[in-house]
Amino acid sequence: MMSAIKKLNLKGHLLTAISYLIPIVCGAGFLIAIGMAFGGSNQAELVSGEFSFWDALATMGGAGLGLLPVVISTGISYSILKKPGIAPGFITGLTANAIGAGFIGGILGGYIAGFLGLAVMKYVKVPKWAKGLMPTLIIPFLTSILSGLIMVYIIGAPIGAFTNALTGFLNNLGTSSLLIFGGIVGLLSGIDFGGPINKTVFAFVLTMQAEGVNEPITALQLVNTATPIGFGLAYYFAKMFGKNIYTRTETEALKSAVPMGVVNIVEGVIPIVMNDIVRCIVAVAIGGAAGGAVSMLLGADATVPFGGVLMLPTMTRPWTGAMAILVNAVVTGLTLALLKKDVAEASAEAEEEIEEEDIDLDDIQIVHGN
Amino acid sequence: MKIVCVTACTVGIAHTYIAQEKLENAGKKAGHEIHIETQGTIGIENELTQQQIDEADIVILAADVSVSGRERFNGKTIIQVGTEVAVKSPNKLIKKAEEIVNQKK
Repeated sequence: MMSAIKKLNLKGHLLTAISYLIPIVCGAGFLIAIGMAFGGSNQAELVSGEFSFWDALATMGGAGLGLLPVVISTGISYSILKKPGIAPGFITGLTANAIGAGFIGGILGGYIAGFLGLAVMKYVKVPKWAKGLMPTLIIPFLTSILSGLIMVYIIGAPIGAFTNALTGFLNNLGTSSLLIFGGIVGLLSGIDFGGPINKTVFAFVLTMQAEGVNEPITALQLVNTATPIGFGLAYYFAKMFGKNIYTRTETEALKSAVPMGVVNIVEGVIPIVMNDIVRCIVAVAIGGAAGGAVSMLLGADATVPFGGVLMLPTMTRPWTGAMAILVNAVVTGLTLALLKKDVAEASAEAEEEIEEEDIDLDDIQIVHGN
Repeated sequence: MKIVCVTACTVGIAHTYIAQEKLENAGKKAGHEIHIETQGTIGIENELTQQQIDEADIVILAADVSVSGRERFNGKTIIQVGTEVAVKSPNKLIKKAEEIVNQKK
Protein backbone atom coordinates (compact mmCIF):
# COMPACT_ATOMS: atom_id res chain seq x y z
CA MET A 1 0.00 0.00 0.00
CA MET A 2 2.70 2.46 1.01
CA SER A 3 4.77 1.62 -2.03
CA ALA A 4 1.74 2.08 -4.28
CA ILE A 5 1.22 5.54 -2.82
CA LYS A 6 4.89 6.27 -3.19
CA LYS A 7 4.73 5.27 -6.81
CA LEU A 8 2.06 7.89 -7.46
CA ASN A 9 4.67 10.44 -6.43
CA LEU A 10 2.01 12.84 -5.09
CA LYS A 11 4.57 15.00 -3.33
CA GLY A 12 6.87 15.21 -6.34
CA HIS A 13 4.05 16.43 -8.57
CA LEU A 14 3.00 19.03 -6.02
CA LEU A 15 6.56 20.29 -5.62
CA THR A 16 6.98 20.49 -9.39
CA ALA A 17 3.83 22.59 -9.62
CA ILE A 18 4.98 24.79 -6.73
CA SER A 19 8.25 25.39 -8.54
CA TYR A 20 6.23 26.85 -11.44
CA LEU A 21 4.03 28.78 -9.05
CA ILE A 22 6.64 30.61 -7.00
CA PRO A 23 7.88 33.02 -9.69
CA ILE A 24 4.27 33.92 -10.49
CA VAL A 25 3.41 34.61 -6.85
CA CYS A 26 6.58 36.66 -6.41
CA GLY A 27 5.98 38.74 -9.54
CA ALA A 28 2.29 39.29 -8.87
CA GLY A 29 2.85 39.76 -5.13
CA PHE A 30 5.30 42.59 -5.67
CA LEU A 31 3.01 44.24 -8.24
CA ILE A 32 0.01 44.26 -5.93
CA ALA A 33 2.12 45.33 -2.94
CA ILE A 34 3.64 48.32 -4.76
CA GLY A 35 0.31 49.32 -6.30
CA MET A 36 -1.53 49.19 -2.99
CA ALA A 37 1.29 50.91 -1.07
CA PHE A 38 0.78 53.94 -3.32
CA GLY A 39 -2.97 53.99 -2.91
CA GLY A 40 -4.00 51.82 -5.84
CA SER A 41 -6.67 49.17 -5.55
CA ASN A 42 -7.20 45.81 -7.19
CA GLN A 43 -10.08 46.27 -9.63
CA ALA A 44 -12.20 43.71 -11.38
CA GLU A 45 -12.05 45.69 -14.58
CA LEU A 46 -9.80 48.52 -15.76
CA VAL A 47 -12.22 51.00 -17.32
CA SER A 48 -10.40 53.32 -19.69
CA GLY A 49 -9.71 56.74 -18.14
CA GLU A 50 -10.95 55.76 -14.70
CA PHE A 51 -7.90 54.21 -13.10
CA SER A 52 -4.55 55.45 -11.87
CA PHE A 53 -1.12 54.01 -12.59
CA TRP A 54 -1.13 52.40 -9.12
CA ASP A 55 -4.56 50.88 -9.73
CA ALA A 56 -3.07 49.31 -12.84
CA LEU A 57 -0.18 47.77 -10.89
CA ALA A 58 -2.47 46.48 -8.13
CA THR A 59 -4.84 45.01 -10.70
CA MET A 60 -2.02 43.28 -12.56
CA GLY A 61 -0.89 41.69 -9.30
CA GLY A 62 -4.43 40.82 -8.24
CA ALA A 63 -5.10 39.17 -11.59
CA GLY A 64 -2.02 36.99 -11.17
CA LEU A 65 -2.76 36.01 -7.57
CA GLY A 66 -6.41 35.29 -8.40
CA LEU A 67 -5.36 32.59 -10.84
CA LEU A 68 -3.14 30.64 -8.45
CA PRO A 69 -5.61 27.71 -8.25
CA VAL A 70 -5.36 27.47 -12.03
CA VAL A 71 -1.57 27.60 -11.98
CA ILE A 72 -1.23 24.88 -9.34
CA SER A 73 -3.80 22.66 -11.06
CA THR A 74 -2.16 23.02 -14.47
CA GLY A 75 1.28 22.47 -12.94
CA ILE A 76 0.31 19.24 -11.18
CA SER A 77 -1.50 17.89 -14.20
CA TYR A 78 1.45 18.79 -16.42
CA SER A 79 3.85 17.09 -14.04
CA ILE A 80 1.78 13.88 -14.17
CA LEU A 81 0.90 13.82 -17.85
CA LYS A 82 3.39 16.19 -19.52
CA LYS A 83 2.00 18.23 -22.43
CA PRO A 84 -1.43 16.58 -22.75
CA GLY A 85 -1.98 17.41 -19.07
CA ILE A 86 -2.00 21.16 -19.60
CA ALA A 87 -5.49 21.46 -21.07
CA PRO A 88 -7.43 19.38 -18.53
CA GLY A 89 -5.41 20.84 -15.63
CA PHE A 90 -6.13 24.36 -16.83
CA ILE A 91 -9.85 23.80 -17.28
CA THR A 92 -10.20 21.98 -13.96
CA GLY A 93 -8.31 24.76 -12.19
CA LEU A 94 -10.60 27.40 -13.67
CA THR A 95 -13.55 25.28 -12.59
CA ALA A 96 -12.15 25.11 -9.05
CA ASN A 97 -11.99 28.90 -9.07
CA ALA A 98 -15.52 29.21 -10.42
CA ILE A 99 -17.04 27.03 -7.74
CA GLY A 100 -15.04 28.65 -4.97
CA ALA A 101 -12.91 25.61 -4.16
CA GLY A 102 -9.83 27.83 -4.21
CA PHE A 103 -6.25 26.69 -3.95
CA ILE A 104 -6.95 23.38 -2.23
CA GLY A 105 -9.49 22.70 -4.98
CA GLY A 106 -6.81 23.54 -7.51
CA ILE A 107 -4.39 21.06 -5.96
CA LEU A 108 -6.93 18.22 -5.90
CA GLY A 109 -8.21 19.16 -9.34
CA GLY A 110 -4.70 18.94 -10.73
CA TYR A 111 -4.25 15.40 -9.39
CA ILE A 112 -7.66 14.33 -10.65
CA ALA A 113 -7.10 15.78 -14.11
CA GLY A 114 -3.62 14.31 -14.35
CA PHE A 115 -4.46 10.80 -13.23
CA LEU A 116 -7.73 10.68 -15.19
CA GLY A 117 -5.76 11.77 -18.24
CA LEU A 118 -3.32 8.93 -17.64
CA ALA A 119 -6.24 6.51 -17.48
CA VAL A 120 -7.75 7.91 -20.69
CA MET A 121 -4.40 7.56 -22.40
CA LYS A 122 -4.11 3.97 -21.25
CA TYR A 123 -7.64 2.64 -21.67
CA VAL A 124 -9.21 4.57 -24.50
CA LYS A 125 -8.18 2.85 -27.68
CA VAL A 126 -8.69 4.56 -31.00
CA PRO A 127 -8.24 3.29 -34.57
CA LYS A 128 -5.04 4.26 -36.27
CA TRP A 129 -6.55 7.04 -38.38
CA ALA A 130 -7.74 8.77 -35.20
CA LYS A 131 -4.36 8.75 -33.45
CA GLY A 132 -3.96 12.45 -34.11
CA LEU A 133 -7.23 13.15 -32.33
CA MET A 134 -5.95 11.62 -29.10
CA PRO A 135 -3.84 14.53 -27.81
CA THR A 136 -5.80 17.30 -29.52
CA LEU A 137 -9.37 16.27 -28.77
CA ILE A 138 -9.95 13.04 -26.91
CA ILE A 139 -7.67 13.51 -23.90
CA PRO A 140 -8.49 17.20 -23.37
CA PHE A 141 -12.22 16.71 -23.81
CA LEU A 142 -12.79 13.43 -21.97
CA THR A 143 -10.47 14.29 -19.11
CA SER A 144 -11.80 17.81 -18.69
CA ILE A 145 -15.43 16.81 -18.71
CA LEU A 146 -14.80 14.10 -16.10
CA SER A 147 -12.53 16.06 -13.79
CA GLY A 148 -14.52 19.27 -14.27
CA LEU A 149 -17.80 17.59 -13.35
CA ILE A 150 -16.19 15.93 -10.34
CA MET A 151 -15.06 19.38 -9.26
CA VAL A 152 -18.46 20.97 -9.78
CA TYR A 153 -20.77 18.30 -8.38
CA ILE A 154 -18.70 16.31 -5.91
CA ILE A 155 -15.67 17.90 -4.32
CA GLY A 156 -16.01 21.62 -5.07
CA ALA A 157 -18.53 22.67 -2.46
CA PRO A 158 -17.09 20.69 0.49
CA ILE A 159 -13.59 21.93 -0.27
CA GLY A 160 -14.84 25.49 -0.48
CA ALA A 161 -16.54 25.13 2.90
CA PHE A 162 -13.44 23.55 4.41
CA THR A 163 -11.18 26.29 3.04
CA ASN A 164 -13.46 28.99 4.42
CA ALA A 165 -13.52 27.33 7.81
CA LEU A 166 -9.74 27.04 7.84
CA THR A 167 -9.05 30.64 6.81
CA GLY A 168 -11.72 31.88 9.22
CA PHE A 169 -10.09 29.89 11.99
CA LEU A 170 -6.63 31.27 11.22
CA ASN A 171 -7.94 34.82 10.95
CA ASN A 172 -9.56 34.61 14.35
CA LEU A 173 -6.77 33.08 16.39
CA GLY A 174 -6.34 34.67 19.81
CA THR A 175 -3.04 35.99 21.14
CA SER A 176 -1.86 32.80 22.78
CA SER A 177 -2.90 30.65 19.82
CA LEU A 178 -1.05 33.04 17.51
CA LEU A 179 2.07 32.60 19.62
CA ILE A 180 1.78 28.83 19.55
CA PHE A 181 0.93 28.61 15.86
CA GLY A 182 3.78 30.95 14.91
CA GLY A 183 6.13 29.08 17.16
CA ILE A 184 5.26 25.76 15.56
CA VAL A 185 5.60 27.09 12.02
CA GLY A 186 8.94 28.65 12.93
CA LEU A 187 10.23 25.56 14.66
CA LEU A 188 9.24 23.17 11.89
CA SER A 189 10.59 25.37 9.13
CA GLY A 190 13.88 25.91 10.89
CA ILE A 191 14.91 22.42 11.80
CA ASP A 192 15.67 20.93 8.41
CA PHE A 193 17.08 23.93 6.56
CA GLY A 194 14.95 23.96 3.46
CA GLY A 195 14.54 20.17 3.45
CA PRO A 196 11.39 18.01 3.28
CA ILE A 197 9.75 19.16 6.54
CA ASN A 198 10.27 22.77 5.57
CA LYS A 199 8.80 22.12 2.13
CA THR A 200 5.75 20.37 3.57
CA VAL A 201 5.06 23.27 5.91
CA PHE A 202 5.72 25.55 2.96
CA ALA A 203 3.05 23.85 0.84
CA PHE A 204 0.58 24.35 3.67
CA VAL A 205 1.32 28.01 4.34
CA LEU A 206 1.47 28.75 0.63
CA THR A 207 -2.05 27.36 0.40
CA MET A 208 -3.05 29.76 3.15
CA GLN A 209 -1.48 32.65 1.28
CA ALA A 210 -3.33 31.75 -1.90
CA GLU A 211 -6.48 32.03 0.23
CA GLY A 212 -5.47 35.51 1.34
CA VAL A 213 -3.95 34.68 4.74
CA ASN A 214 -0.42 36.03 4.49
CA GLU A 215 0.85 35.72 8.03
CA PRO A 216 1.83 32.03 8.23
CA ILE A 217 4.03 32.10 5.13
CA THR A 218 5.60 35.33 6.29
CA ALA A 219 6.50 33.68 9.58
CA LEU A 220 8.07 30.73 7.76
CA GLN A 221 10.16 32.78 5.36
CA LEU A 222 11.30 35.23 8.02
CA VAL A 223 12.62 32.27 9.99
CA ASN A 224 14.48 31.05 6.92
CA THR A 225 15.88 34.55 6.49
CA ALA A 226 16.87 35.02 10.11
CA THR A 227 18.52 31.64 10.63
CA PRO A 228 21.71 32.33 8.60
CA ILE A 229 21.86 35.86 10.02
CA GLY A 230 21.72 34.26 13.47
CA PHE A 231 24.67 32.05 12.56
CA GLY A 232 26.57 35.19 11.61
CA LEU A 233 25.64 36.99 14.83
CA ALA A 234 26.74 33.96 16.83
CA TYR A 235 30.29 34.57 15.65
CA TYR A 236 30.32 37.97 17.38
CA PHE A 237 28.36 36.86 20.44
CA ALA A 238 30.83 34.03 20.96
CA LYS A 239 33.75 36.45 20.65
CA MET A 240 32.17 38.47 23.46
CA PHE A 241 32.20 35.35 25.62
CA GLY A 242 35.82 34.81 24.62
CA LYS A 243 34.96 31.75 22.52
CA ASN A 244 35.74 30.69 19.00
CA ILE A 245 32.85 28.58 17.79
CA TYR A 246 33.63 28.31 14.09
CA THR A 247 36.58 26.76 12.31
CA ARG A 248 38.28 28.76 9.61
CA THR A 249 36.43 26.95 6.83
CA GLU A 250 33.16 27.57 8.60
CA THR A 251 33.89 31.27 8.93
CA GLU A 252 34.57 31.33 5.19
CA ALA A 253 31.26 29.55 4.54
CA LEU A 254 29.48 32.17 6.66
CA LYS A 255 30.66 34.96 4.39
CA SER A 256 28.39 33.65 1.66
CA ALA A 257 25.76 32.04 3.89
CA VAL A 258 24.76 35.30 5.61
CA PRO A 259 24.14 37.35 2.44
CA MET A 260 22.28 34.36 0.99
CA GLY A 261 20.15 34.30 4.13
CA VAL A 262 19.30 37.98 3.74
CA VAL A 263 17.55 37.09 0.49
CA ASN A 264 15.82 34.03 1.95
CA ILE A 265 18.19 31.19 1.07
CA VAL A 266 18.75 29.22 4.23
CA GLU A 267 20.75 26.40 2.69
CA GLY A 268 24.09 28.21 2.89
CA VAL A 269 24.50 27.22 6.53
CA ILE A 270 24.05 23.49 5.86
CA PRO A 271 27.81 22.77 5.72
CA ILE A 272 28.20 24.38 9.16
CA VAL A 273 25.21 22.54 10.58
CA MET A 274 26.53 19.21 9.31
CA ASN A 275 29.63 19.56 11.47
CA ASP A 276 27.64 19.93 14.68
CA ILE A 277 24.11 18.82 13.92
CA VAL A 278 22.45 18.58 17.33
CA ARG A 279 23.60 21.89 18.78
CA CYS A 280 22.88 23.80 15.60
CA ILE A 281 19.39 22.36 15.21
CA VAL A 282 18.53 23.11 18.82
CA ALA A 283 19.63 26.72 18.37
CA VAL A 284 17.74 27.07 15.10
CA ALA A 285 14.58 25.51 16.53
CA ILE A 286 14.55 27.80 19.57
CA GLY A 287 15.28 30.87 17.46
CA GLY A 288 12.76 29.85 14.82
CA ALA A 289 10.03 29.30 17.37
CA ALA A 290 10.72 32.74 18.85
CA GLY A 291 10.85 34.45 15.45
CA GLY A 292 7.74 32.69 14.16
CA ALA A 293 5.81 33.57 17.30
CA VAL A 294 6.82 37.25 17.12
CA SER A 295 5.99 37.37 13.42
CA MET A 296 2.49 35.93 13.90
CA LEU A 297 1.79 37.97 17.03
CA LEU A 298 2.72 41.30 15.44
CA GLY A 299 0.92 40.30 12.26
CA ALA A 300 3.74 40.52 9.71
CA ASP A 301 1.92 39.96 6.42
CA ALA A 302 4.08 39.94 3.30
CA THR A 303 2.17 39.50 0.05
CA VAL A 304 5.07 37.66 -1.56
CA PRO A 305 6.12 34.17 -0.46
CA PHE A 306 9.85 34.63 -0.98
CA GLY A 307 12.58 37.24 -0.86
CA GLY A 308 13.95 37.61 2.68
CA VAL A 309 14.35 41.29 3.59
CA LEU A 310 12.83 42.15 0.20
CA MET A 311 9.55 40.91 1.67
CA LEU A 312 9.56 43.71 4.24
CA PRO A 313 8.31 46.54 1.94
CA THR A 314 5.31 44.41 0.91
CA MET A 315 4.03 44.25 4.51
CA THR A 316 1.35 46.54 5.90
CA ARG A 317 3.79 47.40 8.69
CA PRO A 318 7.34 46.51 7.63
CA TRP A 319 8.74 47.00 11.15
CA THR A 320 6.83 43.91 12.29
CA GLY A 321 8.84 41.72 9.94
CA ALA A 322 12.10 43.44 10.84
CA MET A 323 11.33 42.82 14.50
CA ALA A 324 10.67 39.11 13.88
CA ILE A 325 13.97 38.72 12.00
CA LEU A 326 15.83 40.57 14.74
CA VAL A 327 14.39 38.51 17.58
CA ASN A 328 14.93 35.27 15.69
CA ALA A 329 18.52 36.05 14.69
CA VAL A 330 19.50 37.23 18.16
CA VAL A 331 17.96 34.19 19.87
CA THR A 332 19.55 31.75 17.42
CA GLY A 333 22.86 33.59 17.67
CA LEU A 334 22.93 33.65 21.45
CA THR A 335 21.91 30.00 21.75
CA LEU A 336 24.60 28.96 19.28
CA ALA A 337 27.22 31.04 21.05
CA LEU A 338 26.31 29.41 24.36
CA LEU A 339 25.88 25.83 23.14
CA LYS A 340 28.71 25.42 20.67
CA LYS A 341 32.08 24.30 21.95
CA ASP A 342 35.24 26.32 21.63
CA VAL A 343 37.18 25.07 18.62
CA ALA A 344 40.94 24.98 18.83
CA GLU A 345 42.65 26.70 15.91
CA ALA A 346 44.53 23.48 15.17
CA SER A 347 41.40 21.55 14.30
CA ALA A 348 40.50 24.13 11.73
CA GLU A 349 41.92 22.08 8.88
CA ALA A 350 41.06 18.62 10.13
CA GLU A 351 37.42 18.59 9.19
CA GLU A 352 37.47 17.75 5.52
CA GLU A 353 36.93 14.10 6.26
CA ILE A 354 33.70 14.36 8.20
CA GLU A 355 31.59 11.26 8.19
CA GLU A 356 28.70 11.49 5.78
CA GLU A 357 25.24 10.35 6.69
CA ASP A 358 24.38 6.90 5.44
CA ILE A 359 22.03 6.83 2.52
CA ASP A 360 18.63 5.49 3.44
CA LEU A 361 17.75 2.88 0.84
CA ASP A 362 14.15 4.11 0.86
CA ASP A 363 15.36 7.43 -0.50
CA ILE A 364 16.94 5.91 -3.53
CA GLN A 365 15.30 4.46 -6.58
CA ILE A 366 17.18 2.54 -9.20
CA VAL A 367 16.11 1.89 -12.75
CA HIS A 368 18.22 -0.74 -14.47
CA GLY A 369 19.09 -0.10 -18.07
CA ASN A 370 19.59 -2.53 -20.91
CA MET B 1 33.72 5.54 -15.24
CA LYS B 2 31.52 8.17 -16.81
CA ILE B 3 28.60 9.70 -14.96
CA VAL B 4 25.93 12.14 -16.07
CA CYS B 5 23.68 13.88 -13.55
CA VAL B 6 20.71 16.20 -13.47
CA THR B 7 19.97 18.28 -10.36
CA ALA B 8 16.68 20.10 -9.77
CA CYS B 9 14.99 21.38 -6.60
CA THR B 10 11.64 22.97 -5.82
CA VAL B 11 12.49 26.65 -5.71
CA GLY B 12 15.34 26.11 -8.14
CA ILE B 13 17.88 28.53 -6.75
CA ALA B 14 19.81 26.82 -3.99
CA HIS B 15 19.63 23.04 -3.55
CA THR B 16 19.97 22.54 -7.30
CA TYR B 17 23.38 24.17 -7.31
CA ILE B 18 24.59 22.88 -3.96
CA ALA B 19 23.82 19.35 -5.14
CA GLN B 20 25.63 20.04 -8.40
CA GLU B 21 28.75 21.26 -6.62
CA LYS B 22 28.79 18.38 -4.14
CA LEU B 23 28.35 15.73 -6.84
CA GLU B 24 30.95 17.35 -9.04
CA ASN B 25 33.52 17.36 -6.23
CA ALA B 26 32.67 13.84 -5.10
CA GLY B 27 32.78 12.51 -8.65
CA LYS B 28 36.11 14.11 -9.48
CA LYS B 29 37.59 13.02 -6.17
CA ALA B 30 36.73 9.42 -6.98
CA GLY B 31 38.36 9.85 -10.37
CA HIS B 32 35.29 9.73 -12.58
CA GLU B 33 34.34 11.82 -15.55
CA ILE B 34 31.19 13.61 -14.47
CA HIS B 35 28.82 15.98 -16.28
CA ILE B 36 26.01 17.71 -14.43
CA GLU B 37 23.04 19.52 -15.87
CA THR B 38 21.18 21.93 -13.57
CA GLN B 39 17.46 22.59 -13.99
CA GLY B 40 16.84 25.66 -11.84
CA THR B 41 14.22 28.36 -12.02
CA ILE B 42 16.43 30.13 -14.54
CA GLY B 43 16.09 27.15 -16.89
CA ILE B 44 18.43 24.40 -18.00
CA GLU B 45 22.12 25.15 -17.73
CA ASN B 46 25.07 23.07 -18.77
CA GLU B 47 22.75 20.85 -20.83
CA LEU B 48 23.96 17.31 -21.35
CA THR B 49 24.82 16.41 -24.91
CA GLN B 50 23.50 13.24 -26.48
CA GLN B 51 27.05 11.99 -26.73
CA GLN B 52 27.68 12.47 -23.02
CA ILE B 53 24.49 10.57 -22.24
CA ASP B 54 25.30 7.76 -24.67
CA GLU B 55 28.78 7.29 -23.24
CA ALA B 56 27.72 7.44 -19.60
CA ASP B 57 27.87 4.26 -17.50
CA ILE B 58 25.21 5.56 -15.16
CA VAL B 59 22.76 8.41 -14.74
CA ILE B 60 22.17 10.12 -11.38
CA LEU B 61 19.03 12.21 -11.08
CA ALA B 62 19.13 14.28 -7.88
CA ALA B 63 15.77 15.99 -8.08
CA ASP B 64 12.79 16.90 -5.89
CA VAL B 65 10.69 17.80 -8.93
CA SER B 66 10.06 16.16 -12.30
CA VAL B 67 13.15 16.19 -14.48
CA SER B 68 12.61 17.81 -17.88
CA GLY B 69 13.62 15.65 -20.81
CA ARG B 70 13.73 12.46 -18.78
CA GLU B 71 13.12 10.43 -21.93
CA ARG B 72 16.70 11.22 -22.94
CA PHE B 73 17.79 8.61 -20.39
CA ASN B 74 15.50 5.80 -21.53
CA GLY B 75 17.34 2.50 -21.45
CA LYS B 76 20.13 3.78 -19.20
CA THR B 77 20.73 2.70 -15.65
CA ILE B 78 19.36 5.50 -13.49
CA ILE B 79 19.73 6.29 -9.81
CA GLN B 80 16.97 8.60 -8.70
CA VAL B 81 17.28 10.46 -5.38
CA GLY B 82 16.14 13.72 -3.82
CA THR B 83 18.58 16.62 -3.79
CA GLU B 84 18.83 16.10 -0.04
CA VAL B 85 20.79 12.86 -0.51
CA ALA B 86 23.24 14.47 -2.94
CA VAL B 87 23.78 17.40 -0.60
CA LYS B 88 24.26 15.32 2.53
CA SER B 89 26.05 12.23 1.24
CA PRO B 90 27.59 12.91 -2.17
CA ASN B 91 30.56 10.57 -1.75
CA LYS B 92 28.38 7.67 -0.63
CA LEU B 93 26.06 8.31 -3.53
CA ILE B 94 28.94 8.10 -5.99
CA LYS B 95 30.12 4.94 -4.26
CA LYS B 96 26.64 3.45 -4.64
CA ALA B 97 26.78 4.30 -8.32
CA GLU B 98 30.10 2.47 -8.61
CA GLU B 99 28.60 -0.62 -6.95
CA ILE B 100 25.67 -0.67 -9.32
CA VAL B 101 27.85 -0.28 -12.39
CA ASN B 102 30.19 -3.01 -11.19
CA GLN B 103 27.34 -5.42 -10.52
CA LYS B 104 26.24 -5.05 -14.09
CA LYS B 105 29.56 -6.05 -15.54
